[in-house]
Amino acid sequence: MHKIGIIFRREYLSRIRNKSFIVMTLIGPFLMALFYGGMIWVGTEAVNSTDNEGPKKVMITGQYPGLTSIPNSESFAFESSSLTVEEAKNELNKSTVDLILNIQDVGSGNLDSITAYSLQSLSLRQERELRSQLETQLHRSQLLGMGLDPMALDSLRQGVELHCQTISDTGDAQNSATTLKSGIGFVMAFLIYLFIFLYGSMVMRGALEEKTNRIVEVIISSVKPFELMMGKILGVAAVGLSQFLVWIAMGAGLITGLSRFFGPQMQEGLQSTQSMQGAGSQALQTSINLWDQFHSLPFGKIIVVFVVFFLGGYLLYSSLFAAIGAAASQDTDVQSFMLPVSLPLVFGLLIAQASVIQSPHGSLATWFSYIPLTSPIVMVVRSPFDVSWLEIAGSAALLYGTFVALVYLAAKIYRIGLLKYGKKPTWKDLYLWIRQSN
Amino acid sequence: MSILELDSISKTYGNQIVSKEISMRIEPGSIHGLLGPNGAGKTTLLRMMATITKPDSGRILFMGEPLVDRHAHQMGYMPEERGLYKRMSVVDQLLFFAEIKGLSRAKAQGEIRRWMQRLQMTEWINSSSQDGTKNRVKQSKKLEELSKGMAQKLQFLCTIIHQPKLLILDEPFSGFDPVNADLIRDIILELRDQGTAVVFSTHRMDNIESLCDDITLINHGSPLFQGKTMEVRRSQFAGHHDLAIAEDQSSSEPPARWTEHPKFISVFKSSEGNWIHRFQCNSDFSSATLLNMGIQAGRVVHFSEHIPSIHEIFVQSIQAQNHA
Repeated sequence: MHKIGIIFRREYLSRIRNKSFIVMTLIGPFLMALFYGGMIWVGTEAVNSTDNEGPKKVMITGQYPGLTSIPNSESFAFESSSLTVEEAKNELNKSTVDLILNIQDVGSGNLDSITAYSLQSLSLRQERELRSQLETQLHRSQLLGMGLDPMALDSLRQGVELHCQTISDTGDAQNSATTLKSGIGFVMAFLIYLFIFLYGSMVMRGALEEKTNRIVEVIISSVKPFELMMGKILGVAAVGLSQFLVWIAMGAGLITGLSRFFGPQMQEGLQSTQSMQGAGSQALQTSINLWDQFHSLPFGKIIVVFVVFFLGGYLLYSSLFAAIGAAASQDTDVQSFMLPVSLPLVFGLLIAQASVIQSPHGSLATWFSYIPLTSPIVMVVRSPFDVSWLEIAGSAALLYGTFVALVYLAAKIYRIGLLKYGKKPTWKDLYLWIRQSN
Repeated sequence: MSILELDSISKTYGNQIVSKEISMRIEPGSIHGLLGPNGAGKTTLLRMMATITKPDSGRILFMGEPLVDRHAHQMGYMPEERGLYKRMSVVDQLLFFAEIKGLSRAKAQGEIRRWMQRLQMTEWINSSSQDGTKNRVKQSKKLEELSKGMAQKLQFLCTIIHQPKLLILDEPFSGFDPVNADLIRDIILELRDQGTAVVFSTHRMDNIESLCDDITLINHGSPLFQGKTMEVRRSQFAGHHDLAIAEDQSSSEPPARWTEHPKFISVFKSSEGNWIHRFQCNSDFSSATLLNMGIQAGRVVHFSEHIPSIHEIFVQSIQAQNHA
């Protein structure tokens, strides 16, 4: 243990004293905010840029009673035409219209099909909007045909604000805040995914660097390869945790600052909404609800699960990454081993996206939150959704148990691999190294 | 008691035998040279001594006890392929290696100061940190700021900083410039005089003859011969005598006078220009008989017993075994 401590200290101090590490720790959260902000901006900008093109001119050919006149929208301006489809296609070629809608009525008064012709493919959004407009218009004309006033029917529609609450064991009702929980769970899972790769490859590069620098032979004449590997893994883990602590402190400072600044304003807003109606107060109410939901989240559990599963996942994967680094002789050797080792992590993220957010307590999400190679991602996404402590403890026990077993195998590869140079190892070599006694 | 005793150790990698029943003893206050061509198994043998790998069979004793990992604290090992942490300072590097060898931080600080003065390395410590406090060294240059020669000195210092009882050096002089090679050689002798046992592999035969008390020559993982350096020299090719008589030195072709003699071995030209004939003397053909043969042939200008150099023994033994 003493040797692990010495290796741990060297790894930790040499990395946190590194200028680039200090800079990244300080500006990392801002870069990440910039990244997400950029993604949102790009998404919004994409919609706006399409909208800026102005409405597309749509020529309707063929006849169907309900679709003789369709109201214009921001995206489409409709006009009926007596031209045949072939004649209309010429208009399309002359660019006087952007789109032709050919409506085919089989003569029985039933709509057979509608075909849209255009020179350029419609975007998914435009296609969806056009379909929706046509369906709405058909619906309205059918209502009119039945003698019903669509406007009157619209006025009968009433929006409902659904407040989902969950009841805890003590009987307290809490805001279920599904969207917020999904968002937070997914952001945490993505962070774990990112940092397992980031810190895991730090361990891998460290092992490879020591091997290519030829320093490793000197070290393992005094330190067991297992101690060297564990010291390195734990040292980098401490670097990661230090970075997280700094970021949590920065985040806590930001939230405290925001609470002090916006808290009183929200209280005032809440009082004024009770006596006010309108769009402005509605938006403020939504913000207040979001703020309340945020405060109602089980932060204690979320942070514990995040730290436990981040550490467990990191330890599990970094022991594999360390073995890869020790087995390789140069950077290019690493690639073929990286893919199969990192696939379960990528798969976990896919499960988190596809299943957990849809159904956090479904069997797929539940099982993958127990499997150690995916649990660091899947359990973390599930954690805000009232997962019992027993489930969390069981999954964590499996994760750490698997880590112990894997670290034993990884250490065997590490021990032999460190002294092998030249030939790129194969999977068979790794298997033989595991079986080799010394 | 021997510092290290190898008793019939063998090691195999896959189907390849890299060490085959090797036995040797390393005594305190002595230097043991390990000789052998490339791929003979020297590095594997040194790694087994340094606890990096373990033999498949046989046993290694360290001061009478079966060799275990904790004995590594009392050893210093410098591999042929060297390396240190590039971005780590000289002092941090030395502290790190001293600590993993079991030295306390305070003692390591004292040793670092002492050795850096001894090796004239104090200028590597930044002047701003030389605050005059005893046994404390602070900031120092990083490895990447050092020249190759300086880095090599540092590497050697990392190996001996904890005052090991056994020093295991794989090709210790390779890569060193002559000045640093002499410095390392002096320190090795100094450590030997203080009781440290040293075992090293080398291709430089001059080092073997001038440094080693004992030698072991291995080829294909097996020992060819071993013993005290002078005894080995005397025992190998025993009875070889050189004879030269005054004759025409301008000839580029060696004289054919004795080439058909049954005890003739070889003929070559000496630096003085004499044609030296080498014969194998034994009980049937004594050195006196050989000298008489020379006197009868002409004026004898050279007659001596030939004690082979380690270089000759090395080359001839390896060639003989490879051709066998």
